[in-house]
Amino acid sequence: MGSFLKKDLLVFWRDRKEVLLALFLPIVIIVVLNLAFSGLFDNDAESVNMNVGIVDENEHSTELEQFKLRLQEMDILEVEKEALINQASAIKPSELIVEFFNDPKLKEWIPYEKVSEAEAIKLVEEGDLDAIIKIPEGFTYDVLSSLLLEEDSSTPISILAAEQSMELNTLQNVVNDFIDTLNLQFALGSTVGADLEEPVLPQGGREVVEGVETFNISQYFTIAMSTLFALFIAQTVAMKTVTEKRERVFNRILLTNSNPLEYLMGKTLATFFLSMIQMLVTFAVTQLFLDVFPGKSLAFWVGVIVIIAAFALTVSGLSALFTSITLILNDSNAASGIFTMIVMSFGVLGGSFFPLQGLPVVFQKIGEWIPNGLTQTVLIKWIQLTSVQDLIVPIIILIVFFMACLVIAVTIFPRRGRV
Amino acid sequence: MLETINLSKTFKEKKAVDEIDIYLDDGESVGLLGPNGAGKSTTISMISSLLKPTSGDVKLNGKSTIKDPSEIRKVLGVVPQEIALYEELSAYENLHFFGKIYKVKKGFLENRIQEVLDMVGLKDRQNELVKTFSGGMKRRVNIAAALLHHPKVLILDEPTVGIDPQSRNHILETVRKLNEDHGTTILYTSHYMEEVEQLCDRVYIMDHGKVVASGSKDELLSILSSEDTIQVQLSKSSDNLLEAIKAMKPVRRVDETSDGIRIISKKDSSILNNLVHAAEKEGIQITHFQLEVPSLEDVFLHLTGKSLRD
Ligand SMILES: Nc1ncnc2c1ncn2[C@@H]1O[C@H](COP(=O)(O)OP(=O)(O)OP(=O)(O)O)[C@@H](O)[C@H]1O
Ligand SMILES: [Mg+2]
Repeated sequence: MGSFLKKDLLVFWRDRKEVLLALFLPIVIIVVLNLAFSGLFDNDAESVNMNVGIVDENEHSTELEQFKLRLQEMDILEVEKEALINQASAIKPSELIVEFFNDPKLKEWIPYEKVSEAEAIKLVEEGDLDAIIKIPEGFTYDVLSSLLLEEDSSTPISILAAEQSMELNTLQNVVNDFIDTLNLQFALGSTVGADLEEPVLPQGGREVVEGVETFNISQYFTIAMSTLFALFIAQTVAMKTVTEKRERVFNRILLTNSNPLEYLMGKTLATFFLSMIQMLVTFAVTQLFLDVFPGKSLAFWVGVIVIIAAFALTVSGLSALFTSITLILNDSNAASGIFTMIVMSFGVLGGSFFPLQGLPVVFQKIGEWIPNGLTQTVLIKWIQLTSVQDLIVPIIILIVFFMACLVIAVTIFPRRGRV
Repeated sequence: MLETINLSKTFKEKKAVDEIDIYLDDGESVGLLGPNGAGKSTTISMISSLLKPTSGDVKLNGKSTIKDPSEIRKVLGVVPQEIALYEELSAYENLHFFGKIYKVKKGFLENRIQEVLDMVGLKDRQNELVKTFSGGMKRRVNIAAALLHHPKVLILDEPTVGIDPQSRNHILETVRKLNEDHGTTILYTSHYMEEVEQLCDRVYIMDHGKVVASGSKDELLSILSSEDTIQVQLSKSSDNLLEAIKAMKPVRRVDETSDGIRIISKKDSSILNNLVHAAEKEGIQITHFQLEVPSLEDVFLHLTGKSLRD
């Protein structure tokens, strides 16, 4: 097997065009994208800045009274009414939002001022504000009915801005996350009332905020491009089989007593090492020249290498599968077409071309089942300092994916005499 | 001994190889001749375990190699018709890789690579990439790669196709040495009769998937011993005369050549007389007359109706 591996690595290395494509193209693309986007987005996490105006049109006490009145009219037990009224009085939704934005960490990033709507629009037009968060009239009433009576809420918080931007997306996420967490907390039951005496900063929301601080677009490019190009390596190595058949060396291999599976394993291992090298080089170079991951610890880098290795394993499994398919199909154009389609759909679904984080949840969920999408998600989480435990399941999934591919590849690998 | 028994291969409808029986005694050098598409390469593929026969068997020392080909793979070296090398690797790297997968022992491999490179005369160019080699040099590496594991039997499928005379001589010399000095059994396929005449003790002639003749050179020539080839030059050409000659009883065929006509006829003492007679009748003089000794080429033509090369 060692000789097969050595041969495959050598053959790859000699194909200078391929080497350039695999090693330098992703780096070039990352640099170009960075230059192209550096004017649009501020890459420096510290200076990510959004001036937000909070327009509070909510009339808390009036709406609370309305809600209480409604409860009184309802046909339920007095005790229940009592309890609900108590709970309702404890909840001050609009204040919670304001409190949330008062968090010193968040404030550093999104300073806000309370303004009237007319004033806010003027400030946005003048460029002094980047976005307006509008807490609409009826918000308290709506939130209370939604939380306590499980009715559909109809007056959502709206975010207004002069132009769409990456930061605006993030702001939207922050607010959505906050609302989700709020809902969750209430849904959790009895302790709610007590907890909310003191405005609580929902944990979920906070995490996202920290994420925003540490995850930026250059990091996305680095991760997306290196994983995408690793997938290309699976295709490239497998397609060498076509050359080996065309150049008849495959027959010469069959003339020996070597186990044909060694041939397959050589390809698999070669892909593992090549994609590993490719990704490590991409990370190393972008780090050296662009400082994509500033001030990260050794532990962070070890984690990155582990994740990359797991993904490289998956890519090598894919390459084994591609190799077997190439041998069965006997039609190199068809094979190449199929592989390009697979790799491209992995690229699209896995978020290599645009970040999944901005897309509807469905796409994010699909993306997390695509190896490169999963790897990307895990790496992004890892940048945001999740715990080591969070890496275990994704890595297991990647390894399972590798094994599945390999098993299929070995099963369909043509036996001698039929080739 | 290596032998095929009723070996056949059918591709879809087409019988590429049709019940052939050939054998190679140890240390023999045997030629396999046949026009394009005769089934030579298909036969070789089946012998070397690359292709499963439709029916029949290949036996090595009496043991079938179809079910368990590991033994024949060990003793067999195959030089395929097409060059089978990694173009992107150097001659040395190719040999190193193939030596490894032929399981040549580590300590011996280095020496052996240099030995085979020496045999094919490419020692000083071993580190150059195969893709930069000339056709002749590639053919020589192609042979070297089949020799690494000291094969007892070497099968060469048209190893000299399309190369310069110098490389060709080198290859022929290498094969001759392998056979004479190392006792390697040789099965040699070629479109060049003189190569086979020079190298081989015995010859099989294949056509349409069948062995149509076999034997030593003399045995094959005796196929034609009942016939004469007569080359005649005339003062002028004449269709009438051609027809008259064709009508003669012992004459099998008449062809016009660049400087006269060639007659293939059964041995018959009266033929010369009749020829002179017929020419006189047409007022034509015979300016030159030659009775040709048949060559293997003629045997081939006689058997297959085709010349060896298109
Ligand atoms: N894989 C295949 N599928 C279908 N037909 C085939 C296949 N291989 C060979 N044939 C056919 O079998 C016949 C014998 O082919 P083969 O290559 O054995 O001839 P050959 O004697 O080696 O010819 P050449 O001197 O041109 O090399 C040919 O008619 C060829 O078209
Ligand atoms: Mg052939």
